Amino acid sequence: MIKVDQLCRKFGELYAVQDLSFHVRKGEVMGLLGPNGAGKSTTMKMLTCFLPPSSGEASVGDVSLHDSIEVRRKVGYLPENAPSYTDLDVRSHLKFIGRMYGLPNATITDRITEMTGVCGLEHVLHRRIDELSKGFRQRVGLAASMLHDPACLIFDEPTTGLDPNQIIEIRHLIRRLGEKKTVLLSSHVLSEVEAVCDRMMIIDQGKLQVIGTSEELAHHTQGHSVFYVRFKESGEQVLDLLTQSFPDIQIKPQDDQSNAYMLYHSEPDVPLAEKLFHTSVASGAIILEMQSKKKTLEDVFRELTGEGQ
Amino acid sequence: MNTTEDMGMNSERVGRANLNSRGLDRGGLNRALAICWKEWRVALDTPLGYVVAIAFLLATGFFFANHLFLVGQADMRGYFGVMPLLLMFFIPAMTMRMLSDEQRSGTFELLATMPIRTCDIVAGKFLAVMLQVLVLIALTLFYPATLALMGDLDAGQVAAAYLALSLLTACYVAVSLYASAITSHAVVAYVIGFGILFGLFMMMQAMPTFSPDVQNFFAAFMPLAHYHFMLRGVIGLDDMGVLLLVTALFLVLTWFQLERRRWR
Repeated sequence: MIKVDQLCRKFGELYAVQDLSFHVRKGEVMGLLGPNGAGKSTTMKMLTCFLPPSSGEASVGDVSLHDSIEVRRKVGYLPENAPSYTDLDVRSHLKFIGRMYGLPNATITDRITEMTGVCGLEHVLHRRIDELSKGFRQRVGLAASMLHDPACLIFDEPTTGLDPNQIIEIRHLIRRLGEKKTVLLSSHVLSEVEAVCDRMMIIDQGKLQVIGTSEELAHHTQGHSVFYVRFKESGEQVLDLLTQSFPDIQIKPQDDQSNAYMLYHSEPDVPLAEKLFHTSVASGAIILEMQSKKKTLEDVFRELTGEGQ
Repeated sequence: MNTTEDMGMNSERVGRANLNSRGLDRGGLNRALAICWKEWRVALDTPLGYVVAIAFLLATGFFFANHLFLVGQADMRGYFGVMPLLLMFFIPAMTMRMLSDEQRSGTFELLATMPIRTCDIVAGKFLAVMLQVLVLIALTLFYPATLALMGDLDAGQVAAAYLALSLLTACYVAVSLYASAITSHAVVAYVIGFGILFGLFMMMQAMPTFSPDVQNFFAAFMPLAHYHFMLRGVIGLDDMGVLLLVTALFLVLTWFQLERRRWR
C-alpha cells in the first residue's frame, strides 16, 4: 500500500531523511519510532505530499507521489499537535474538511455522524474547538483525517496530550482501523507502538535502523534474548570460564556487581540454562542467581538510537 | 463500528464526481467556495468581524455627513475621495489573519495536504475578503439613496465611482493577502499590507512634485490614479485594466509565496 524507495530529504546540506526504504502492506499498522529529530515527521510530511523529497521514490496505493493530488485523496493525515480551525465549532470544521475533499453534502452529514460516534465527539459537536480540551482536539483531528474514508491513514503522534483512558480508546480505534486500512503512525511511547502496531521501524538521523515485528527487532540487535547470571565467586576466573565455555555468546560483566554477567545469545534453541548449570558444576563455581530476561523494545530502541551507549 | 466497511470508497469517489458534462473539473471552484464559506463562518462567529464592520460604517458615515453638512455639498465626491484612505486601514485588518494564521496555527499543513491546488486556496481567501468588504460597501449605498431623495444625483457617476471603489478594493485585498502570505504573524501582516498601501498612497500624494513625464509614467501604474480617473464618471477600459492587473499581480505573488511552501 505504501512503498518507499531510497527516499531522501535535505534541508540545506543536512539530511533529515536519507535513503529510506520500506513498505507497508494493506491492512497493516506500522509504527515509526525514533528519537527527536530522527526524521519521523519529515517522512510523514513527504508521504502526505506536504514536502517534496529531494530524491527517491514513494507511492501510496500504487499512485506515485508525483501525482500529489491523487495521493492526497487516498491519505488521511493527522499532523503533529492536530491543528484545526479553532474559531469554528466541531461540526463546521468537519463539514469544511468534507467539502475540501469534494464529498457530496449528504455524504458529509453521514460521515460526520459516523466519525463523531467513532471518536466520541457527539456531545461537543456544536462547541467551538478553542473551547475544547487537548484530548478532544486530538479526537477532532482524528475524525477529520478519517472523514473522507481514506484507504491509508498517517498519524503523527496520535495520542499526544490524551489522558490514559483516552489513550486506550484511541489505541483500540487504531487497531480496529488497522483491520482493513493501512495505518502508519509515529509515537514516542514505545509500549503504545508495541501494543498497536503489527510491525515497526526505528529510524535515527534520517536512516532506517531496523524494521519488523517487535520479536524481529530484538533479533537484529545483540542477540534476541538476554540471560542474567550471578556467581558466588568474583573476578577474572569466572569470566574466563564463561568465555571459554560459551565462545559464540556475548558476555558483559555488570558494572554494579563484580560477580554478575549478562549473556546475549541469538540462537533460541540453545539450552543455555542447562549448559551454564553443568559448566559451573564441573568447574566448582556456585551460581547464586540465574534469570532469563526478554529484551524489551526499549532496550532495542536505546541500542539502535545510541541512547544506551 | 462500520468505518472500514466501505474502505476507500469515498476516496475513490472524491474528485471524480466533480466533472461536469464537458469533462471540466469543478472541484477547484467548489473548494475555493468552501474556503470562502469557512472564512465567512469565522467572520460571523467572532466579535472582530462585527467590530470592524461597525467601525467602517461609523467612519464612512462620519465622512459622508461631514461633507454634506459642514461643507454643504450634496454630492459623494468627499466620500469617494476619502474611501481609499479608509480602506487602507480596514482592508489589511480584515485580511491579516487569512494566511498568516494558517501558518502560525499549523492548519496550512492540513490545507496543503488536502486535494486542492494553491490557486484555489488563494481564490477562496481572496473571494472571502472581497465579498466581506463589498457587503460593507453595499451598506453605504444608503448614502447616495439619501442624496437622491434630497435632490438631483448623477446616478451614472455614482455607479462608476462604486465600480472604481470595488476595483480598488480588489487591489487592496490582493496586496493585503500577499502581506498575509509572507509572514506567520497577523500584526506583521497588517503592518506590511498597510505599509505597501501607504507607500502607494504617498507616491500618489507626491506626484505633483515630479516632472510631467515622471507623473505620466507613474500614473500609468498607480491604482489610485486610475481610481480617481474613474471617479469622474468615465469608465475607461485602461483604468479598469490597470486596477485588475495590479490585483492579478499581487494574487500571483501570493500564489508564488504559498507554492514555495507546499508541494505542487
